[in-house]
Amino acid sequence: MNRFIRYIQRYKGWFGGAAAICLLVGLYTGLLVSPPDYYQGEVVRIMYVHVPLAHTSLLAYSILFGGSIWFLWKRDPLVDNMCQAASSITALFTGLALVTGSIWAKPTWNTWWTWDPRLVSFAVLLLILAGYMMLRRLVDDPDKQGIYAAVLAIVGGVDLPIIKFSVEWWRTLHQPMSISTRGISISDDLLLPLTFMSLGCWLLFAYMLMVRTQMLYLIELLQAKKGRLLSQTHFSQSAQ
Amino acid sequence: MTGFYARWGMVGALGLLLVFLTYQDYQTRLSTIPLSGIMSGNTPKEPIRIQGMVKSGTLAGKVEQGEATFEFTEGTVTIPVEYHGPPPENLRELKVMVLKGRWDAEAYVFKAQDTALVNNYGYVAAAYGVSCLTIVLMLFAMSQRVMVLFKEIKESKLYEPEVDSLAKKQ
Amino acid sequence: MPFLKTIQWVVWKDLVCELRSRETISSMLFFALIVILVFSFSFSMDQDAARQLIAGIIWVAFAFTGIIGLGKSFSSELQNDCLEALQVSPIPKGAVYLGKVLANFLFILSVEILLFPLFILFFNLDVVAELGLLLLVFFLATLGLSSVGTLFSALTVQIRAREVMLPVLLLPLAVPVMIAAVEATRGILNGDPYSFYSQWIQLLVVFDIIFTVVSFWLFELILDS
Repeated sequence: MNRFIRYIQRYKGWFGGAAAICLLVGLYTGLLVSPPDYYQGEVVRIMYVHVPLAHTSLLAYSILFGGSIWFLWKRDPLVDNMCQAASSITALFTGLALVTGSIWAKPTWNTWWTWDPRLVSFAVLLLILAGYMMLRRLVDDPDKQGIYAAVLAIVGGVDLPIIKFSVEWWRTLHQPMSISTRGISISDDLLLPLTFMSLGCWLLFAYMLMVRTQMLYLIELLQAKKGRLLSQTHFSQSAQ
Repeated sequence: MTGFYARWGMVGALGLLLVFLTYQDYQTRLSTIPLSGIMSGNTPKEPIRIQGMVKSGTLAGKVEQGEATFEFTEGTVTIPVEYHGPPPENLRELKVMVLKGRWDAEAYVFKAQDTALVNNYGYVAAAYGVSCLTIVLMLFAMSQRVMVLFKEIKESKLYEPEVDSLAKKQ
Repeated sequence: MPFLKTIQWVVWKDLVCELRSRETISSMLFFALIVILVFSFSFSMDQDAARQLIAGIIWVAFAFTGIIGLGKSFSSELQNDCLEALQVSPIPKGAVYLGKVLANFLFILSVEILLFPLFILFFNLDVVAELGLLLLVFFLATLGLSSVGTLFSALTVQIRAREVMLPVLLLPLAVPVMIAAVEATRGILNGDPYSFYSQWIQLLVVFDIIFTVVSFWLFELILDS
């Protein structure tokens, strides 16, 4: 078994535990200790889960981007597994950031969806990730699958900043950014849960990435070994 | 295998306990009592929270200095309120808000000490619930799959390194 | 074979194929005509409303016609294993990419230039004063669409469900091109001063440069695999 997979099996628990502790502290301070916002009231607590999720999904996409370049350079199948794992987890975090953002928008802006630049950029990111995962399913040859997916991830990663800028310009052109500021100045009360939740989300992402990479690697390993076993029995039978 | 499910069972139980504790804390600290409830007389001595609307044309007193009297209404029930506390910035007529204070049954007046915004915890609970549930479900599915795969590889004795099998043959 | 010569041969090959079969351009033209018809049924427009909506309609029609052309660009190579011939032939793969981009660019741009008078006719628009700038926008946006589109056309041609996957992968990535093209076209059709939409033209130039370079490098990996 791959050396790296054994390292993951040995050390992933630390990441999971650290993530759990950070998230528990973050949830406690965010839900119970920190005061409600003056304008938004209790709804401001959605920020403590929404903002870390959004940050983490961007971090996760940059890891997918870097991993894709690495894969195209070294062609390490384990890195391909990591990219595939990162893509589904990034999609999960992006989707959750969109959903929590939508839930936050309802009480503050009185609408479930607004063409806010950040929301639009995240929706486009989610579409790119959905395309990535569909592409993975539609290519049977594992070598081609990794290369095609990496190409898509790299083009998407180069495109994302341009999408963000263009969408931002487009929105400022059509309506003044009256609702873009969330009406919150970040004070110490808000900073404490936000820090813990962000840290917890990053650690959680690292932990999930490890588990999922392990999962994809083990699936391939089992398939490969079963295939070899089958071919071995076939060979021995035909030899007899 | 049982260890895996025991661990996840503990995580689930801990999660449920935390949700329950948070809900209780919310009930004691932040839930409001209906106006008709405080009239029945069996209200506790500690400050309570009531929600309603400031009745139009009844607000009087020096609101900027934190002294005011007004009538507070919810549905068909209306009670008089004496506000005495920090200057309330969002106290005005026809405003739906939450008051913290005590009900004085003898004087038939609600002595308010502080104001608060109407809390709508539904959105917060929805946001946290959706995120936590989805992440935990995905994590559980992944971990279970890894556990099963490890077990499968072990049981079918497929994990043996190539070198060993070669050595045996020789 | 030198680099420029290869580009020239690839473009020449595609143009000759097209001149003999007239498949791509005619199907793109008919599709675009149908799109125009459908739009005119769905929005009953006077001239004011038309001026507001026309930029968006033009670019929706052009993007979908472009996707038809891009999809044909590599699926036509599947006949007689021409794609494998391209893969194994000892020519720089980057040149194949640039040749394909150029050919696609020429097809889409010619369809756009043929269609634009029809838009003016059907939607009762005033004749545009700044035709040169409008052509520049068409030029830049088509180049951006075909530079990314050629890469993904080569990628999707080798997988299952390629007709669906090309728009699914291409359109989210082409969001900046669409926004910039629509905004610049609207500005030109409204007769706004140049400074109102100059940023969109700059964005198109930046997009074209970045994605031609990035796709140029990535294309080799796709064709070699």
